[in-house]
Amino acid sequence: MSDPVNTVVVVGGGTAGWLTAGLLAAEHRPSQESGLEIILIESPDVSPIGVGEGTWPTMRTSLQTMGVSETEFIRQCDASFKQGTRFSGWSTGDDEHYYHPFAPPLRFNDFDLARHWQPLRDKVDYADAVTPQGRACERALAPKQITTPEFAGNLNYGYHLDAGKFSKFLERHCVEKLGVTHIVDNVVAVNGADNGDIESLGLRSGETVHGDLFVDCTGFAALLLGKHYEVPHRSVRDYLFNDTALAVQVPRSSPDEPIASTTLSTAQRAGWIWDIALPKRRGIGYVFSGAHTSDEQAEADLRSYLASTADVEFSESCNPRRIDFSAGHREKLWHRNCVAVGLSGGFVEPLEASALVMIEQSANMLSEQLPPNRSTMDIVAKRFNDKFLYHWHRITDFLKLHYVLSRRDDTDYWRDNRSAHSIPGDLTESLELWRYRCPRYQDFSRVDELFPAASYQYVLYGMNFETEGPSDRRHSDTAARATADSLFNENIKLTAQALQALPTNRDLISKVHEFGFQKI
Amino acid sequence: MDNNFALLNNVEHQNIKVITERSARYGDDVHFAMTFPLEFRQIQSCYPIFFRKDANTGQFSPVALFGFQPRENLYLSDTGWDAHYIPLMIRRHPFVIGLQQVQGEGDTKREVVSIDMNSPRVNESEGEALFLPHGGISDYLSSVTEMLETIRLASEMNAPFVDALLELDLIESVTMQIELKDGSKNELLGYYTINEEKLQELDGETLGRLHSHHYLESIFMILASLSCFRTLIDKKNDQLGDA
Repeated sequence: MSDPVNTVVVVGGGTAGWLTAGLLAAEHRPSQESGLEIILIESPDVSPIGVGEGTWPTMRTSLQTMGVSETEFIRQCDASFKQGTRFSGWSTGDDEHYYHPFAPPLRFNDFDLARHWQPLRDKVDYADAVTPQGRACERALAPKQITTPEFAGNLNYGYHLDAGKFSKFLERHCVEKLGVTHIVDNVVAVNGADNGDIESLGLRSGETVHGDLFVDCTGFAALLLGKHYEVPHRSVRDYLFNDTALAVQVPRSSPDEPIASTTLSTAQRAGWIWDIALPKRRGIGYVFSGAHTSDEQAEADLRSYLASTADVEFSESCNPRRIDFSAGHREKLWHRNCVAVGLSGGFVEPLEASALVMIEQSANMLSEQLPPNRSTMDIVAKRFNDKFLYHWHRITDFLKLHYVLSRRDDTDYWRDNRSAHSIPGDLTESLELWRYRCPRYQDFSRVDELFPAASYQYVLYGMNFETEGPSDRRHSDTAARATADSLFNENIKLTAQALQALPTNRDLISKVHEFGFQKI
Repeated sequence: MDNNFALLNNVEHQNIKVITERSARYGDDVHFAMTFPLEFRQIQSCYPIFFRKDANTGQFSPVALFGFQPRENLYLSDTGWDAHYIPLMIRRHPFVIGLQQVQGEGDTKREVVSIDMNSPRVNESEGEALFLPHGGISDYLSSVTEMLETIRLASEMNAPFVDALLELDLIESVTMQIELKDGSKNELLGYYTINEEKLQELDGETLGRLHSHHYLESIFMILASLSCFRTLIDKKNDQLGDA
């Protein structure tokens, strides 16, 4: 075979770099003689941005694929269980909230329960009618018991984790168990080949690292795809306004404080505040639109949230870290023999924790479709670009949905978010359809959609969007009514069982530290 | 009723007697009890041995199975416990043994025996006396103390045994489907057993290592015990016949 792909060079030692290296190595076995060589170059001077601390349930599969023990992961990454997001103040700004849980509605695959919930909308929240998960989260319960095997759950779950510790954990696993070569040095030169490919990277030490495929995991710097290839950045600022975040880490005031089992997302006058609960600390940040509020006001709003949910003294003394970003993504993610994974490829905002899952998706596709040689690489690159541009498009739509449905009228931020020209055309069309029927599978065309129809339902009905309910004139509706009733009743039963059987998040985490999960 | 453990002493408990009869009335209506390799030989001749996870810690322990659902002990009848061997963890009631810090002596701990004063076995009129009229301990209590000491030593050996099995993937989950003579189908969940396929694949060196810790013997005791599962089903069917 001519021009075989034997060596993959990953540049960047943050979560994106190590996840990509780990998922590639799990499949392509660098430790074996005929395996792929995987080199990760990490700069000693650049510290990872480290605010990607919420995962999706997909992370369980990723960890399993890499052969990681869930017990060790939880112990070493200060991780806890995440079962979705709790949105507060998004609909009206009053004291209201809704859940977007990870568990799909009962029998989601083959039954349109959402339609039958419509007449009940004033009696029970959508999420609470169709899954036990929201109520379990409201009590800060864990998704499983200490007797549940590793990676299995009574309820669907992902994780909250310490991003810095997670990178280090993956690094050790990749190097010690999976045979990834780790170089700590700065890349000072990108050496091109005659055909325009990257041939090698020059390091400060004078060493040159050759590779057949280069993965750009250099964060916002986008050293290879951005700086070297100058692939343009496509902004989505017209739709999603946020461009700044102020982040702090809040120490626990006592070691047995409850650990929330969802990300808390609280709407503010010009954005929203994330609140991510780890066993030893909380990660909190205000992400906002600089065009809609001043830095001083934003900081004051963050401190006021801290004062009401943490420690007053801390809220005054803490020093928030500022992160500027430009919502958008590269016009393509894979160019010649260089592919961007992580922030280098794009970032819109932290809402719905799309950053880590995009890394996992990218690394999985890269691993599964790894071109065997240079001559097939452009085909894979084209497909990769199609797929991930589609994902960026869908992410933009889904995140925008949260803003479009808000009825807040207290600031320009919320009003501007509803102005017609700030709403992607696809989303406007979908919303028109969804007035008459609930979002279902066929609304979304990919088998591996990031946000399934269930997610749209939770947000739409959590924010009081109205869809036409069942009708006596529709035969399918009358026939299905009994099924719907029995499912609603089943959910009541399942909810009671879950509340009775599940320990608190805090209790379970303590037990994982003391005893650990069994593998079976 | 909740447990109410009191450190045993010959002043407070001078007149206490313990009923040793086997009956549901005295709390013997349990469907399993923890067991240890030390008594596997006797257990396997009467009861099937499985592994179960402790609800509180998730850790595996071997258990002897007496029934298919909570509070069902198929060995229990009006005339007592129908088996020639009764597991130590059943016989220990209403006592437990624990370690207590000795005051003023750093890390030194001594064994102490406690009694559950809420146990229906405990009274002042019926059963075996704990203490002699002048305060000395009765033969019954000294045999109890000896048994508790055995339990303490034996239970410490469970964790290394289980760890050795887990390390070799020798424990697997088992779902048992039982069809009774009335046609009802019952499923038993939450039990684990020895993975015989994995056991067959072990090389001589590994087997030698298991043997040197006497684990091999215990493994085969567990496998042999499974024939008692039939006994359990027969007992259950007999009960249905009575009904």
